[in-house]
Amino acid sequence: MKKKLANMLFFALLILGAVVITLPFFYAISTSLKQNHQVFAVPMQWIPDPVVWENYIIPFQQRPLGRYFLNSVLVSTSVTVLNVITCSMAGYSFAKFDYMGRDFFFMAVLATLMVPIQVIVIPLFILVKSLGWLNSYAGLIIPSATSAFGIFLMRQYFQTVPKELMEAARIDGCGELRIFWQIVMPLVRPALSALIIFIFMHNWNNFLWPLLVATKEEMMTLPLGIAKFESTYSTHYPQLMAVSMSATLPVLLVFVILQRQFIQGIALSGIKQ
Amino acid sequence: MRFRQGHTPSFKRKEAWAGFLFAVPAMTLFLLFAVYPIIRTLYLSFFDYNMLVPPTFIGLKNYISVLGDPLFWQSVRATVTYVLGTYIPTIIIALGLALILNRSFRLKDLFRALYFTPTVMSMVVVSVIWKVLFNYRGLINGILAVFGQSSIRWLTTSQWAPAALAIMSVWKNFGYYMVIYLAGLQGIPTELKEAAQIDGANAKQIFTYITLPLLRPITVFVVTMSILNGVQEFTAQYVMTGGGPSGATRVTALLIYETAFAYVKMGRASAIAILLFAALLSLTFGLRHWFGLEN
Repeated sequence: MKKKLANMLFFALLILGAVVITLPFFYAISTSLKQNHQVFAVPMQWIPDPVVWENYIIPFQQRPLGRYFLNSVLVSTSVTVLNVITCSMAGYSFAKFDYMGRDFFFMAVLATLMVPIQVIVIPLFILVKSLGWLNSYAGLIIPSATSAFGIFLMRQYFQTVPKELMEAARIDGCGELRIFWQIVMPLVRPALSALIIFIFMHNWNNFLWPLLVATKEEMMTLPLGIAKFESTYSTHYPQLMAVSMSATLPVLLVFVILQRQFIQGIALSGIKQ
Repeated sequence: MRFRQGHTPSFKRKEAWAGFLFAVPAMTLFLLFAVYPIIRTLYLSFFDYNMLVPPTFIGLKNYISVLGDPLFWQSVRATVTYVLGTYIPTIIIALGLALILNRSFRLKDLFRALYFTPTVMSMVVVSVIWKVLFNYRGLINGILAVFGQSSIRWLTTSQWAPAALAIMSVWKNFGYYMVIYLAGLQGIPTELKEAAQIDGANAKQIFTYITLPLLRPITVFVVTMSILNGVQEFTAQYVMTGGGPSGATRVTALLIYETAFAYVKMGRASAIAILLFAALLSLTFGLRHWFGLEN
């Protein structure tokens, strides 16, 4: 009896949590389909009447939202590809080779995990500016082409790969690059998917760096574009919500498809530290 | 670069070289875009620099000026308020939900995924949505009205704006820490609990004497991450309140951004950044010491 009551309480809590999580989404979707003057009507109307689909069309005509989206796709994808290459190579090097300075490099990488971005961003901006990379894809992409966290994650995983595998390949006359690419890399797929999800998500949502680098409309990424849209059209709530929802939908879609990998990736990063 | 020579056969040395080369691309980028900027920030913090004329050395003047500036201390208070206000509830909710979800039942994966959803969203989008929710005539005040509470001016009064930011950030973040706690709970062997049960321990005792102590390393990780993430957060403040009203939510991260990129005082902003970093380091080391996890 007591156990049954506890179970019911647990479920009540879980459902309360679910309501709290989903309510803002429903509110945003509902608002996005209303007329502006209906937004704050009392009592609140959850089902819009009439349903104003134009809210999802007009903002795309007023602002280059498609361009922001493409920029976000391009920047996040490039950064992710570069990180997969640089982080896995460095992680492999730190985990499976023995050379002077290795531990020093690795400790340096680890130490920067504790450095807030504010300590890096000022000289980084000055550097990127002096390279002439403001308002360029190079400026948005290259400073993020490797990550301390990624190197750390890959190193931890490469350590589980038995060294004998590499030795055997060497004896068979296999080159180092081929050993890395064809033998070792396929063995660390779970870590790779965690890395890809992390880096992509982080860059897709990144705000501070694009805010500094992209001042021209055509170089802005989605979060920046939405913040811009918000500061210009902050009183047209339905369109604002429509823009927010259109930006969120792709992310939610990817999350629903890769849900398991997402959660395992986060768990992996937590446990390994 | 010289490698361990002498007894090392030449093929081993070749292998070491190959290994070193694998690290070169990442280390080059890392030196250029992380190590150099960190050192440069420290360097610039002793200079007056507005990006128009070359930096002039002014010794400790930036630090002295910043430490005597009420705006800086206000930002410190805003940061502490934001971090504590966000992460104490976040961690408690995360741990609570992880304990509830750490059993097998139908729909478990659904709940877990649902709670995790806000963490994959962009902070800009979340802030934009919550700005409307916190509108004087928005949903939050509507819900308060159901309970007979009068409406609150969430984003325009200095006593409520920090609360609004914290509430939104709890909503955004707790799923992430819940997943980390869940992973930690799964690492606790069930034999321990079973043994305690056989010895007659009740649920409360098992939690206090077995689960909680074994979660300690995870908790240290979670607290460290919370502080690190909380201190760096500035998107929410930037979008939702712009640091207002009258500076009540101008956290140090936002103050650094404004000092550097709105007022172009690069040296002064660097000094604030270094102070932030120093505070963060002593805090995390203090924490590890306090939790008894020096290693």
